[in-house]
Parts: sequence; C-alpha cells; structure tokens
Amino acid sequence: MKLRKVLALTLAAAMTFSLVGCGGSSDEAATEAPATEETAEEAPADDAAEEAPAEGTAEEGGLTYGSIKLGEDYTDLTTTIKFIHHKTDREEDGTIADLVSRFNEVYPNITVETEGVTDYQEDALLRLSTGDWGDIMFIPAVDAADLSTYFVPYGTVEDMSQYVNFADQWKDAEGNCYGIGYMGNAQGILYNKKVFADAGITELPKTPDEFIAALQAIKDNTDAIPLYTNYAAGWTMGGQWDALLGAITTGDETWLNQKFVHTAEPFKDNGDGTGAYALYKILYDAVANGLIEEDYTTTDWEGCKAMINNGEIGTMVLGSWAIAQMKAAGDNPDDIGYMPFPITVNGQQYTTAGPDYCYGINVNSSDDNKAAAMVFVKWMVEESGWCDFEGGYPISKTAETSFVFDGVNVVTNLTSLPGEEDFMNEMNAESELSFNAGGDAKVQAIVEAAATGSESYDDIMADWTAKWNDAQEACGIEVLY
Amino acid sequence: MATVTQAAKRKRTFGEWASSRDGQKIFVMAAFMIIPLLLLFTFTYLPFAEMFGFSFYKMKYIGARKFIGLDNYVKVFERKDCFGALKLSLYYMGGSIVQLALSLYLATVLSFKVKGGSIFKGFMFFPYLINGIAIGFIFKFFYTRGFVFDTVLQWCGFELENLPYWLKDQSINNISLVGTSVWRYFGQNMVLFIGAIMSVDSELYEAAMLDGANRFQQFKYIIMPSIKTIITLNVILSITGSLSAFEPPYVITSGANGTGTYFVVMHEIAHTQQKVGLASAMAIVLLLIIMTVTVLQKLFFKYVFKNAEDEDLNATAKRDKKLAKMAQRKAGR
Repeated sequence: MKLRKVLALTLAAAMTFSLVGCGGSSDEAATEAPATEETAEEAPADDAAEEAPAEGTAEEGGLTYGSIKLGEDYTDLTTTIKFIHHKTDREEDGTIADLVSRFNEVYPNITVETEGVTDYQEDALLRLSTGDWGDIMFIPAVDAADLSTYFVPYGTVEDMSQYVNFADQWKDAEGNCYGIGYMGNAQGILYNKKVFADAGITELPKTPDEFIAALQAIKDNTDAIPLYTNYAAGWTMGGQWDALLGAITTGDETWLNQKFVHTAEPFKDNGDGTGAYALYKILYDAVANGLIEEDYTTTDWEGCKAMINNGEIGTMVLGSWAIAQMKAAGDNPDDIGYMPFPITVNGQQYTTAGPDYCYGINVNSSDDNKAAAMVFVKWMVEESGWCDFEGGYPISKTAETSFVFDGVNVVTNLTSLPGEEDFMNEMNAESELSFNAGGDAKVQAIVEAAATGSESYDDIMADWTAKWNDAQEACGIEVLY
Repeated sequence: MATVTQAAKRKRTFGEWASSRDGQKIFVMAAFMIIPLLLLFTFTYLPFAEMFGFSFYKMKYIGARKFIGLDNYVKVFERKDCFGALKLSLYYMGGSIVQLALSLYLATVLSFKVKGGSIFKGFMFFPYLINGIAIGFIFKFFYTRGFVFDTVLQWCGFELENLPYWLKDQSINNISLVGTSVWRYFGQNMVLFIGAIMSVDSELYEAAMLDGANRFQQFKYIIMPSIKTIITLNVILSITGSLSAFEPPYVITSGANGTGTYFVVMHEIAHTQQKVGLASAMAIVLLLIIMTVTVLQKLFFKYVFKNAEDEDLNATAKRDKKLAKMAQRKAGR
C-alpha cells in the first residue's frame, strides 16, 4: 500500500513539474513577444517624430531618385555612408570593393563602408529596429505600413516606373516607392548557346513542340545531354517546374493564386500547347523520347554547373538566379544563355519576374547622408552593371543588359484574393500535390512513369485532377472555373 | 480526543515506517529513480501520448484541428502507398537475414586464432562508425553509372552495357539500397557475436576435439546453443530495423523511384503534405505491427531453441516462488 502511495506521489510530482514546465515556457513566450514588438515599434516611431521636419525639408529640396543627375549633382558632397547587404560572397571576393572604387572615381568625396551580413533576413530586422544601422540596407520583411518609419521614399511609384522595373515592390498606401531591387529574377530555361548552334538551332523554340524538336536536334547532332533534369536533387524538380505555373503557362496573371484552387479541371489538355497540362507534358515527352540524361537517379547538382558550362548539357529548367552560378563554374561563361519558357499563349510568350533584395535608405540619416546614399543607389542601379554581372533580370530601364527576353511579356502572378490566402495551402496539403510547396515527388513520378512507361501522361493528369477535385470537396472550396 | 490519538498513532506509524530499513530503501529508490523517470516521461511517454491524441484529428502543425475519430486509421489501411511501402520491408528483412548469416560466419571464423584477426575486425566494424548520411552520399556516387561499382565490375570482366542501372532500374534498386544497409550493420552484428562467442568455455572445444568433432559440429553443438540469446536479440533488432528503414532510401534516392519505405512515406506525409494526424496514425499502426512481429519472433525462437523453452519454464517457476513469498510476507504483516 505504502509503496504505491509513494509511487503515486512521485508520479503526481513528475506530472506537475512537467506541466509547470510547459505552462511556464509558453507564458514567457507570450509575454515576451509583445514586449519586443512594443520596443521595436516605439523606438523608430520616436525617432521618426524627431526627424519629421528634416524629412520635410529634404522633400522640399526635391531629393528624389529621378531628380539626381549622376556625375553632375552632389559631386562636392563630402560624407561617409554605410551599406549593409547579404552578399557575403561578393564582399569576400572583392566585387563590392571594386564597385565602390569605381563609384569613387565619380564621387571621390563620398566614402562608402560596406558590410556583408550572414543570416541577413533576421539580422537586418534586428538592426532596423535600433534605428542606427547605417544608411543603405537591403530591405528585410517589413510591413508596408511601417516603411515610412524606417526608409526614405525614392519618389512615387508612378515616377519611379519610368526608371526602374518592379518599383511597386515596396510601396506604401500613398503610392511612394521605398525600395529598388539590386537585380531581378525571372523564370525560363537555361541553355548552352554553343550546343544550340552545333545542333543547328537558329531560332529559340517558342512552343512545346518546337522545344522537343530542338532537344531532338541536340541529341541527333551533338554529344550533349539535351535536357538535364536534376531529378535526384528533388527541389530542382518540384521547385523549378511548379514555378512555371501561372502566367507563363496560361498568360493569365490571376490564374495561379486566384483561379487555380477554383478550377474544376486545371490539368486538362487545352489542345493548343498551353496550361499546366502542356507544362508537365514537356518533361514527360522529353523523358519518354530519351532526351534526358542516361541515369536520372544519380544526377549531381554541383556537377551539372560545370557540365552545362562545358557544353555537356543543352538545357536545364531553372530560374534566372542560377545564371551566375553556371557562368562561374567553368571557362565558357559566354556560352550560357537564358530563354523564355517555350509556351506561347495567343501568339505571346510570358515570363514572371520579380526583384531580389531592394535597396532602402535610412530615414534617420542626416540630410547629407541621405543625398549621398541616394546618389550611391542610383549609381549602383544604373551605372555599376552589378545586376548584369550577377546575370539578373534588369532593374534599371536604361542600363545595358545582356539579359535578352525579346518580345516577352513580363508579368507578376497576382496575390490571392482577400479571405482566400490560405486556400492554396489547404488544397496543396489535402491533395498532396504541393504545388510550389515542396511537391518534388509528383514531378519525379512523371519522370519515372515516362522512363518506365508504367503510366501514360493522360492517366497522371487524370489522377491529379481527381485528387484536386477531392481536395476541393474536402476543403469546401467552390468550383468556379 | 479519540480521533486525535488515532491520527497521531497513524502518523507515528508512518514515521516509524519511514525511518525503518524498508522505508529508507523505498525512499532511496524513489530518489534515484525520479530524475530518469521524469526524463523518460517528459521525452518519451508524454510526446507519445500527444501523438496518439493527434492521430484522431485532422490537423496541420499550425491552425485549427478537427476531431475525426478513427478516419485516419481507416485511411492508413485504404491508401495504397502506406501498406505498399511495407512490402519494401521484405527486401530489408531478406537483407537482414543475409547480414546475420554473414556476420555469424565471420564472427565464428574470427573468434578462433586467425592471422590479422584484429585488423579484419576493425575494418569490418568501421562502416558502423560512419554517419548514416555520409554513407548515403558515398553510395550515391558508388552506384552512379560508370563510377566506382561499375568500374570495379569492369575490372572483373563485365561489360558496361550488360550492367544494370543500380538505382534507376526499379527491379533492383531496392536491393542496391539494402546492400548499403548490410554493409553498414554487419560489422556491428559481428562484434556482438564475437563477444558472445568469447564467453564460451574453451575447454568445451578441447573436449569436442578429443571426441573427434569437426569445426562445423563444434559450431552447431557448442557455439550456436551458447549464444542463442544474442542471436535472438540480433534477429529481433534487425527485423524491427528493417520495418523502419529510413536512411538509405531517404538520402540516396529521397524515396523516389519506388524506394519509398514506410518511414519515408510517413515523413513525406507529415512534413511535406502536413497531414500530421494521418502520419501519427501511421506511426501507431507501425508500432502495433512491430510489436506483433516481435511477439511472433519470440514464439518462433521458443520453438526453435527447445532449451530456451526449458529455461523459460524455470524462470516462470522461480517467479511463481517469489510471488508466493511476497504474498506470504504481506499476509504475515
């Protein structure tokens, strides 16, 4: 009896302890979170209040991105500005120092200090909340409503759109532009120009059929692998192919985030080489016709960079961010090309593009520093050629670029309708197709089915449609299209 | 008045009991046990109970959850991929039998005097010390077309055209993966076996030799019966392990191309699809399967090793005696 009592006591004690432990930690977290939020909000708010008049004069003085004439204005300005950024690799290899020294040829009196920050997203937010972090930073995740408490506007989005692409990335309710990208990212296909030339392809393919024909030509006329799938890496399958859904395949900016979840048959054959059906069919056909690497299960992501550089690979489906890596991986950087995805909707090709990190200027800096910072940002965007060096989609509308996307409509997939933000996530989870959410397995399955002939493409699409419809029913999402 | 004295009396008896030898023993035991028990409870039983609870809900990691009763369990049995994945375990079970036979053979050979025995033991145990993820990467390159394995086979006179794609060909890719797991674990099994064989009295061998028994007979009649507990243990661990194979398919093929074992499927459902309830139900079902298989194995070995049964009978007899004694003591008080 007594033994049992003691045991019961011990158990009870153990349970209480563990309960106290759980309760305590959650309480702490709960009380702490608002506290930090408060301080974060308060500090800059106070600063902003103090700086308000200064800001006003700056605006009266007409400090806008558009009004600055590079090489003419502010050449006698002497000050020191600080620029924090996430490109630690470029800080280490001297690219940034090189850019700054070229800037100083034009503006010898503006000293620019730079700092590459690892773990940027988190670190930048912390520094931002202190208000005293320097003069220029790449804007981390900030709510649109808070932009004006931290950053200086470059001008209205309308004005800015004359000079740069994606001026509306960081805009407040009044329509001011607070951030300018350092480079843009676009979706398309990476290819080796020399392989294309050797295969006798003179014009870039614009439709799925032309693309498969081009791959066939590469197989027939060269030793290169026509399409390297990067099957084994996983993310290169789901992550890269799903990213092409939306405006690129349908020409409709609202399709991906607004219509997709409400569509009864999103994977049906449109018959004209458009839509999600045509997108994944390119992969299936390429595999079924033996236009990919011999053994897809042992592909090597690091190795593929040098292979496409050396002309051992014809094409790869990757975002434009990959261009710089492929160029750096070997001796033939000039052979690397980038083309729009070969789907044409009503005679028009589309690509989706958006900015990478954007330059933001500290609202708490002195007037001189604000001016110097804006001069530096304008020079970086228009004169430095950094964006082009990284192989990015152009930001400046006037700067030279090697990124040629002739006759392609550059669009952005619109965000979901208010109140429907979670629909895509719910559908992804319920249907287990996980578009743009780590659904690598389903794209890998296409490769497997095509290679082994175990399932026809139409069967796969029918299966996806069935899963999609079941999920719509389970999530209670209305079918509208 | 009476109640007070009674209470005082009861208190005193508890105090007496606490200061007595029996009481002290219990206190010391409790004091030593409380920390490990607390840890065990917080990090094993509590999360397990939570997971058991999750299995009745339709839920993600964040957001609202909905009670759906046994629906998740029904789904586990309805879905093709869940139990289809268990079929792959047969490959791993087959592999574990090969692995045990190999390690038992090598252990027997190495437990006698062999030239360079320690070096061989070291080499064969080495793979077990390598991290599972690293092994995955090693074998990814090992099986790549025209890389290590193909090159070695070409030295032996095979033509590259006649060799299969080790990871692409769905009829053998699971065997390739099982091979890596055999390579990794047979050394560990071998060392366990050697340890057990070492404890066999060497006089027995001498006596057997005098009687004219050869090596195989020595193995069959002396070594096998002496190490049957270790053999049973290793078999149970290997079979359980093969039901929950995860590392080779996850790292080498990421579970694609028909190599997704039960664990890999479960991981995919829990983390990519975020169906936490369903994955929890899968975990519970797997636990039940493993328990059943373990019990079946125990029964099997009871049948195979008749002596073991005898021993068990002895054990139950002893237990009965002990229980009787305890009951007596209690009655005596």
